[in-house]
Amino acid sequence: MHQLGNLALAIALILAVYSIVANIYGARRLAPDFVVSARHALWAMCAMVTIAVVVLWVALLRSDFALEYVAAYSSTTLPTVYKIASLWGGQQGSLLFWTWLLSIFTSIAAFQNRRRNPEIAPYALAVLAGVAIFFLLMLNFVTRPFDLLATVPAEGSDLNPLLQNYWMAIHPPSLYTGYVSATVPFAFGAAALLTGRLDDGWIRSTRRWAIFSWFFLTLGNMFGARWAYEVLGWGGYWAWDPVENAAFMPWLVMTAYLHSVMIQERKDMLKVWNLSLIGLAFGLTLFGTFITRSGVISSVHSFTQSGLGPYFLSFLITVTLAYAALLIFRSKQLRSPAEFESYLSREAAFLFNNLMLVGIAFAVFWGTIFPVLSEAVRGVKITVGPPFFNRVNGPLALGLVFLMGIGPLIAWRRTTRDNLVRSFTAPVAIGVATGIVAAAAGLRQWYVLTAFSLAAFVMGTVLVEFRRGMNARRHTVGEPRARALVNLVAKNNRRYGGYIIHVGVIVAFVGIVGSSFFRTEVKKSVRDGESFTIGSYTLRYLGLAEVDTPHLESATARLQVLRPDGREITVMSPAKLFFKRQQQPATKVAIRSTPLSDLYVVLAGIDDSGQIATFDVFLTPLVFWLWAGGLLMVLGTVIVIWPNVRERAAIATALSRASTGTRELADIAAPGGD
Amino acid sequence: MRIRPRFFIGVGLIVLAVGYLIFSAIRTTSEYYLTVSEVASRQSELGGQALRVAGRVKAGTINWDPNTLTLRFEIVPIPDVDAAGGAVKPVVASDPVSLRVVCAGEPKPDMFAPGRDVIVEGKLGPGGAIAATQVMTSCPSKYKPKQSQ
Repeated sequence: MHQLGNLALAIALILAVYSIVANIYGARRLAPDFVVSARHALWAMCAMVTIAVVVLWVALLRSDFALEYVAAYSSTTLPTVYKIASLWGGQQGSLLFWTWLLSIFTSIAAFQNRRRNPEIAPYALAVLAGVAIFFLLMLNFVTRPFDLLATVPAEGSDLNPLLQNYWMAIHPPSLYTGYVSATVPFAFGAAALLTGRLDDGWIRSTRRWAIFSWFFLTLGNMFGARWAYEVLGWGGYWAWDPVENAAFMPWLVMTAYLHSVMIQERKDMLKVWNLSLIGLAFGLTLFGTFITRSGVISSVHSFTQSGLGPYFLSFLITVTLAYAALLIFRSKQLRSPAEFESYLSREAAFLFNNLMLVGIAFAVFWGTIFPVLSEAVRGVKITVGPPFFNRVNGPLALGLVFLMGIGPLIAWRRTTRDNLVRSFTAPVAIGVATGIVAAAAGLRQWYVLTAFSLAAFVMGTVLVEFRRGMNARRHTVGEPRARALVNLVAKNNRRYGGYIIHVGVIVAFVGIVGSSFFRTEVKKSVRDGESFTIGSYTLRYLGLAEVDTPHLESATARLQVLRPDGREITVMSPAKLFFKRQQQPATKVAIRSTPLSDLYVVLAGIDDSGQIATFDVFLTPLVFWLWAGGLLMVLGTVIVIWPNVRERAAIATALSRASTGTRELADIAAPGGD
Repeated sequence: MRIRPRFFIGVGLIVLAVGYLIFSAIRTTSEYYLTVSEVASRQSELGGQALRVAGRVKAGTINWDPNTLTLRFEIVPIPDVDAAGGAVKPVVASDPVSLRVVCAGEPKPDMFAPGRDVIVEGKLGPGGAIAATQVMTSCPSKYKPKQSQ
């Protein structure tokens, strides 16, 4: 079987090389046959990588320990779902998985563009094939998934217990999907630079890809946070670990990109900026893999360190230099005749929002690589922990939230005083009122007061927008309220879906602020029947229950939760697991979540006699809203990406006119525009 | 794209603000990240300084008191894998350099065990022991380190 996997990867590499040559030759010599053939080669490449993936999956499911990878990341007692997830549990497998996604996305992009974008698509596909070549070289020569062991072990070493939960099945694939799909817009941007076709065609052709990528980066980050919260048992969800940062930075840059492309579509400005952002987003996906795999930066998630680092770094540097050179080479053509006219314009708000997002990304980057820099410059490794990131990003986040309120309501080009007063009176009032109520309720930290006021302000702006749109429909179309609201969102899905995403971000932001500032923790060792308190809850320890299976042993504590008046609310069951294969303990957290606060209980230890149990208990206000905000962001993105009849019509018109100046109908119909 | 001069003020302000925030935060939040041997050799100058020390838990030194949540142990340098050409040097019980760690008020981490690599955060006390606020165990994605390669 393993020969089949190796053969498939070798053939995939050859096909990728052929596809580059045929694409470029076909596009330069105007030989459509070659472009068609290159496309077919990419599809065949995808089929080959798929075969390799299937071979590895079969080996994992059959526990074929002759394969080094299977022996290292699986075992006979591992549940089937984790055997499947082991595909991305280790380095070789996750690179194979990455390459597989890349080949699938490349094939889809090739299919979408079989008749569209004849000038740039072949080059974009060549760039995609080039990225695939890098990964296939790694898989063929550097980190081979199908290597055999000299002696076949009777049992594998199993998957890390921390990875043995359902998040393992969904978090890495989401994140990888987000990472890898960013390659498609990058490839089209690079193709635009290569061909000199620098209008917004490349942005329009890949808008869905960019949103798709952003969507999965959002999911990946959210799932990662939730995983950390549910599984790691330290009461938090985000530790600013390099690995988390590696996932967060591309998200920030993609967020900036999704906003700034709107300015290019509308105003034909920021061309260099947009091309730079998408280059940066792609570079950061490689950087993320580099830092997690190279061991250059120490992380709590110490992945298998390997010789992969230098290859990734070389590839990253090569891509960056080539891309920068192209940008400089085309810089004359990238000048835009339009310019910023007023601070009080949507362009300006978007520009500043971009600077904030990239500023946060830069701060995160700086904090992540600071140990390496300080060691190189001063000879001593200096690290910065979560306090650094919170201190820098806290104020920047406030600025960003403020701009989230301004951007959507302010007019393009410049805004009149009347317009400002009309749009912002109600939201500002809502924000100020919230601040006063919060202060009256006893909140004193300036950051929390500002954050809650700004959050309410942004909510106010969104409400104003929805109300305006709804009333416009009621008056012009004559629909009743509810119907007008539904149609408003359905017919302008990009705009109003975007607002729902904003609401999601704000809701999540409130959850983050609340959980960061007001978390309390109690650590306590108790005997049977003893109790202790946290907040208004009393917790009484009712003893242990033990279970033994071939895969793991578990000890589950019963902890009665009582209200101040002594009535029982619930019984929580935090547990300690012991994975036999690795001789490894793990923790199963018990969480009682309510919109106001989460009660989070960790069975931190049991003494050898079994008499004393140690609990680590957290009371975390508002953290519920972080996840609720995540769900709203998902909902909003689905609305944005939903195929829209009017948009299709607009694209069809644009194509038939073959003009690049056509504006989206949705934007023209929108109130508050120019 | 041209940007009018007065826009450079806004752009410049944001860039400056980001730069200032990074600069000031680094000054106030940085910690030395050291190995056990580095701490041992520079003990005199590190008193009271926020530290992160990477080391390996020495067998036979662990003392855990669940009643007071106090964990005492010693760490020794993590053997250098690369230097030995891939062969992992075993930790000898009589390793000359070791550092005492006392962590009070925190539960014992799950992965904590003799021979495991940990990162200790805290300050170096006057007696030469680290008063740790946090003990983190690294979570390897793989259990048996490959001996070949």
